Amino acid sequence: MSTSADQLEVGIEACDCVTPLGDAEQTHAALVRGEIALKLTPILGRDGGDEVPLALLGAMDETIPPRWLPDLHRLIAKIPPAAWGSAKFPVIVTSSNFGVGSLYAFVRDRDPAHLVHSTPFASVELLRREFGWGEQIHVFSHACVSAHLGLAHAARLLHAGIAHRVLVVSYDFVSSFVAGGFHSLKILNDAMPAPYTMRATGSIGLGDGAAFAVLTKEIRPMRIAAHALHNEMFHFTGNQPDGAGFDACATAIAAVTSGRRLWVKGHGTGTLEAGRLEAEAIARRFPNAPLVGWKGSLGHTLGSCGLVELAIALASLRAGQVPGTVGANAPTFTNSIARTPFATAAFDGAVLTSNAFGGAHAAMLLTHD
Amino acid sequence: MIERFIHHVRVERPDPAETAAEARVRLADKFPRTALRRMTHLGLLTGVVLEKVPLSPDDAVVYASTFAETRALEEFLTSFPAASPLLFQTSIHPGGVQQILIGRQQPVSRLWPLAGRARLVEHALLTALMEPAAQVILLGGEERGSWMLDHQMAAPRAFAFALMLTRNSDGAVGRISFNPDESLDEACPSLEEFSHILAERQPLSWSGSGGGWNLRWL
Repeated sequence: MSTSADQLEVGIEACDCVTPLGDAEQTHAALVRGEIALKLTPILGRDGGDEVPLALLGAMDETIPPRWLPDLHRLIAKIPPAAWGSAKFPVIVTSSNFGVGSLYAFVRDRDPAHLVHSTPFASVELLRREFGWGEQIHVFSHACVSAHLGLAHAARLLHAGIAHRVLVVSYDFVSSFVAGGFHSLKILNDAMPAPYTMRATGSIGLGDGAAFAVLTKEIRPMRIAAHALHNEMFHFTGNQPDGAGFDACATAIAAVTSGRRLWVKGHGTGTLEAGRLEAEAIARRFPNAPLVGWKGSLGHTLGSCGLVELAIALASLRAGQVPGTVGANAPTFTNSIARTPFATAAFDGAVLTSNAFGGAHAAMLLTHD
Repeated sequence: MIERFIHHVRVERPDPAETAAEARVRLADKFPRTALRRMTHLGLLTGVVLEKVPLSPDDAVVYASTFAETRALEEFLTSFPAASPLLFQTSIHPGGVQQILIGRQQPVSRLWPLAGRARLVEHALLTALMEPAAQVILLGGEERGSWMLDHQMAAPRAFAFALMLTRNSDGAVGRISFNPDESLDEACPSLEEFSHILAERQPLSWSGSGGGWNLRWL
């Protein structure tokens, strides 16, 4: 299995996120305290249904304008000014949901106003108008590795000399559409997620999340040094049982980390088989690295998880402390799972990974002064 | 300047009125029967344009679709409150190309699914041209919507195309290049217009993303 990492180092000029626990600093602090944002919530919102763990920024219902717009306004206000959406300052928008929850609302209410922001292009067009961006908005959607693709694409635009600075924005807000979908797959059920934990039944949570990063070729104190991507194409919702897909991506990113003292932020949704394969592959390729995951508190922020969790990782570096794997219990799949917070002083880099439907794998190397 | 040479081009533009059921009958000999009944119209057409395209795990795939799996999306929505797991997973971008690659059990190093509109063709081409992989497959396509089409939220016709791009000019049938300059953005061809241009082997040029684009046939 052949895959190699892009080694196109970029500086992180600015990066922040919004989750139900607050911005990146607040979310980091809450995770260190072990707070869990997930709450059992009816799967169809006001229409009821089974209760499942969701971490929400407000009630899960489709509104006009969409409920996620005020949160995005607060987040986007933090972005350094530039001619965003022009050729030299392109915007990359990534998401797995965009405004798709509005389609559920349209089918329920028959109000065509919901359709205005329901498709990816309509949702992005709403952002473009709201935030005054130009037309140079690249849109990527690859389920739960979407944000990684946006960050990797940004590095290529910068190193090709096509862009001076790139703004990557990702947003995914939970809706009955996506909650119902994951519930139908039976991995979203009435149990709280316990990432990397050996137990009888796996379960995930879903969470609202959005984040941005401004990337530049200029050297900055915090940098993304490399990206690795791999697509198994074994099954829509399953992985190769020998873990070859996880190994391929982990091997590629490990090849560019030699000599570094690393910690790893994994995907860690709470599923059993994927969680075990992921933990084992990371333990093989990074035998001395503690592995953490934060979806046991925040839920899975889907296509945005790579960028939301990057913002939290950066907050961890600034604070000098990495949150542990909230929600994990003993016994865990490997001994490398860090269930409690630890100091960053002993490390000089971090590997951040995500996985997606179709056996898609993504990893990035975060380095810092 | 960045350039790549086109070594394979195939375009499927069926009768605009063709349904997924009719496509399954028309293309029945190209897919395993068990897979055929689950495949979407876009998946079927994507499979046809990828027919006889050799893929390796080192290849990269760029996949462009504004609306993607429209019919699975429409049908998933009507499956509530008993949401269908099959329709859910099929409705997720980039399900159209994943149907084919999973069917072939064909891993690829990088898959870049794009979902824009106004400059989708330009951004897909830029993504393909920046790929370091020796062989890049550029795919695009749509399927005709039903009730979403009534609200201009779906494509009016189904189509798909595939280009195989390399750095090697030997045996190439065409060339696509991007020349950075200071020109302002001009209108970018739509995905459907681009598929027509490919089908007719027409030349094409425009400015966008900070440079000039040129497609010519050899």
